Amino acid sequence: MRRSLLVAGSWLVIAVFRAFGQGGAKSDGSKSVSFAGDTPGREPKSFAPIVGTWVISKDAGKNVLFIDGRVWKRGQPAGGLADKARELYGARNEEFIESIKAFAYFPIAVYKGLDNFEGGDISVRFQMVGGALDRAAGILFNVKPNGDYLTVRYNGTEDNVVLWTFNNGVRKFVKRATETVPLELGTWHTLKISVRGTALQGFLDGKLLLEHTLTEPVSGKIGVWSKTDSMVEFDGFTVTPVVK
Amino acid sequence: MIMLIMKCSLLAMTLSLAAIPAVGAQGKKKSDSPVDSKAGQACRIVATAPWVKRQAEWFDESAPAWTNDTLRTALLRAAGITAPLTPPVQIGVQVAGQSRPLGDGADEMLAQLKALASTRGSAWPTKSVVGAAGVHAVYLLVERDSVLSRSALRRLMEAGPAESPAVDVATLEDRVRIQAGRKQLYGTQFRLDDRGAIVLAPMEDSAHADLRREDAGLPPFALGLCLAKNMK
Repeated sequence: MRRSLLVAGSWLVIAVFRAFGQGGAKSDGSKSVSFAGDTPGREPKSFAPIVGTWVISKDAGKNVLFIDGRVWKRGQPAGGLADKARELYGARNEEFIESIKAFAYFPIAVYKGLDNFEGGDISVRFQMVGGALDRAAGILFNVKPNGDYLTVRYNGTEDNVVLWTFNNGVRKFVKRATETVPLELGTWHTLKISVRGTALQGFLDGKLLLEHTLTEPVSGKIGVWSKTDSMVEFDGFTVTPVVK
Repeated sequence: MIMLIMKCSLLAMTLSLAAIPAVGAQGKKKSDSPVDSKAGQACRIVATAPWVKRQAEWFDESAPAWTNDTLRTALLRAAGITAPLTPPVQIGVQVAGQSRPLGDGADEMLAQLKALASTRGSAWPTKSVVGAAGVHAVYLLVERDSVLSRSALRRLMEAGPAESPAVDVATLEDRVRIQAGRKQLYGTQFRLDDRGAIVLAPMEDSAHADLRREDAGLPPFALGLCLAKNMK
């Protein structure tokens, strides 16, 4: 009896652990990703790295997600791109791969725990570690099966928050934040977007810095974004979808 | 007994550091071969170290491929480069107020670089234009001028790692940041304190310094500090 309880308890712990690794759902519908169950040096379980080298790293003894720009090669997608694209988009994976190859200067990792984000809040903590060309941390959203997407990102080489669109292989600047905010490397900060219909807001450390009206409501996958040789650690990825 | 061992270790370390050849402010060694003090492990530049090999590869000019030899020659002369570069070309140690002498025509070349940097769309002297030594000469020149440093850094970054040496870009970025009152990123900038000792200028996130330095092709942070503190 005692042994059975012990076994059942162990399974429960594992189940909860797995659920939170993929993004444990809370009572308000939000999902927060923990990397505690991941293996340092390996790819994350809860994200599909599409471009760039995304691995689990340790920061102050805690597992975090690290985009390692030291090994960034111009225009090189992540390993196993075809398999990951198939996992994310099934039969439409070819279209996704072609578009992603056009954006291969921009490392992205797609969150596996939510198929369709149509509004709500997404936040992520980030710590810039290095990068000669860029030190960029972004929230990826509105990821379409054809590989188009939107991102709100902070870049430490420009000290600003910017909204970019990526459509049909073309990257376009949309909106820059109202002010520049220099951040020190090796310090944790929070980037957040809030989407309600076509209204987009971007926050850095709780401060509203960017407001924009999108051409249409968002609908698609989400994740994290970076640029070229950036070395950035991510943690606390949280999504709170709007309840319809 | 433990104290005796510690004292002996400290003495050995002091002797080994004293044996290190002097290194110029721009990473130009007075000797032609890499520093290889057999006594000092901590302060030794090993020719086979990845960062030295990477610099050797980037600055290799055994197969000349630049397009503007006239500009290259003028740059080298202005920067005071009189012999082929030998790796490591850049050890990433700059002490405020200490610079190696420039050569003939430096002022004219600085004026020319300023004009180029301020002209949108102008052709900046990159590796394919003036060769690796030519680009290093650009670095040696622009780092003397705080205004030019900023605009040149932008041009060097835009050119990318194939056309601009990452070690020079990193060292220049640190210099620009210190001059702007910000903290440096790579740990390449030093100053003399009141007693004349070489100390590190303020730095961000020293915990990840080696990641950034590896990315840039600089020596490990501990080695950089050691080399700086033992400069004559």
